[in-house]
Amino acid sequence: MSAPQLSRKDKVLLHCAPLRDEHINDRALRTALHHARKTDVFAVQQNFDKAAAALVQSIPIPQEITEWIPPDTFIAPVRRPWKKYAQNPAFLATGIAVLVIAIIAVFQLVDRLNRFPGEPTARRLLTTASSTHAMMLDPVKTDAGALGDFLFMKHRLAHYDVPPEFAELKTLGCRVFDDEEGQRVVQVWVVEKKMQFFLFPAERDPKTGKAREFSGWRTIEQERWAGVAKEQNGVCFMAALRGSAKDLAPYISKKKD
Amino acid sequence: MAEEEKQNLFQLYRFCFLMVADATKAQEIFHATLRDAAQLAANGEAPRDRLWFFRDARWRCLEAGEQGLQAEDVDLEQDELADWAPSQIEKLEAEQFAIWIAGAPDPQRTALALFYLDEFSYRDLLSVTELKPPELSKLLCDGRRQFQAWLDATFPATQP
Repeated sequence: MSAPQLSRKDKVLLHCAPLRDEHINDRALRTALHHARKTDVFAVQQNFDKAAAALVQSIPIPQEITEWIPPDTFIAPVRRPWKKYAQNPAFLATGIAVLVIAIIAVFQLVDRLNRFPGEPTARRLLTTASSTHAMMLDPVKTDAGALGDFLFMKHRLAHYDVPPEFAELKTLGCRVFDDEEGQRVVQVWVVEKKMQFFLFPAERDPKTGKAREFSGWRTIEQERWAGVAKEQNGVCFMAALRGSAKDLAPYISKKKD
Repeated sequence: MAEEEKQNLFQLYRFCFLMVADATKAQEIFHATLRDAAQLAANGEAPRDRLWFFRDARWRCLEAGEQGLQAEDVDLEQDELADWAPSQIEKLEAEQFAIWIAGAPDPQRTALALFYLDEFSYRDLLSVTELKPPELSKLLCDGRRQFQAWLDATFPATQP
């Protein structure tokens, strides 16, 4: 049999190799044993050690010892450090599962916090925004803030006001249409960044008929389009553009009276 | 007391016996170690693991050994381990092996006694003997060869 070459480290470890497999809890030693299993020298050593260990186990235990063994244990209960727990595959798997569940829960929570009454309509209008050309709108060149009076007088739409954050932007065109739910929707084309505004009735409670209010600006993103929406006096306003919510953030972070 | 713990204590006695090669002394050391452990447990400072018992017994054994005849510090003859060594060892009494181990200088004595108890992992051996891996390795390797030389001298007829 050709003896495999053992490294110096392997030889050092093999001289200390325990006889019982359950005592081999060292990775380097296990590797060394793997290398040496088929060598004659190691087999001779193991046979030698087994015979000597058997001789030791034949040492008789005096009766005074067997009778004197105390009934209680003197060894303190084992306290497993947290690292040992962490390395346990069962704890590791549970930990990873809990982490994944926590991440999903956080995502769902953030998603839920971002939802608002009228969100389905807002998403539909984002699709509308992506397929609309300025030519489809009636030309109206004015400040966006002035549109409220125009819409009230021409279309009898009360409270269809552009919020102060977007009131100073110049408009290019405007149209009023009924969406698939029969709601009156105003669409405005703005010069800046080819932005579009939508004004539409806020979602209503079917029992009371009252508008479902929500506070502050809410963000939605869909197919490379982003919108920021706000409810005021039962009407939702949404500014939309092609891009991300970051592009709209500077407008809504402005403090306006 | 659990059976496993009882067996550990029997191994502790065997360790003491290998270290001093005297049943009476081994019993005294065994009892002294257990009394020490009981006292610590009563004070709420129970030993953390079974290795404590072997460490404590080790020092007691070495202390007891200092009072008797001392092994001479000589380079013992060494032989290559032989295929027929197990048959040579089978002819020995356990007490003869204990006398041979107890005659070895420490830390080789402790290393051999602990190793042949067949009770400890490699890390446990390093911990109780307070040796570095190459040191433990050399002591065990030399111990085997020296014991083989002694076996060859004691049972020359068994060689082919």
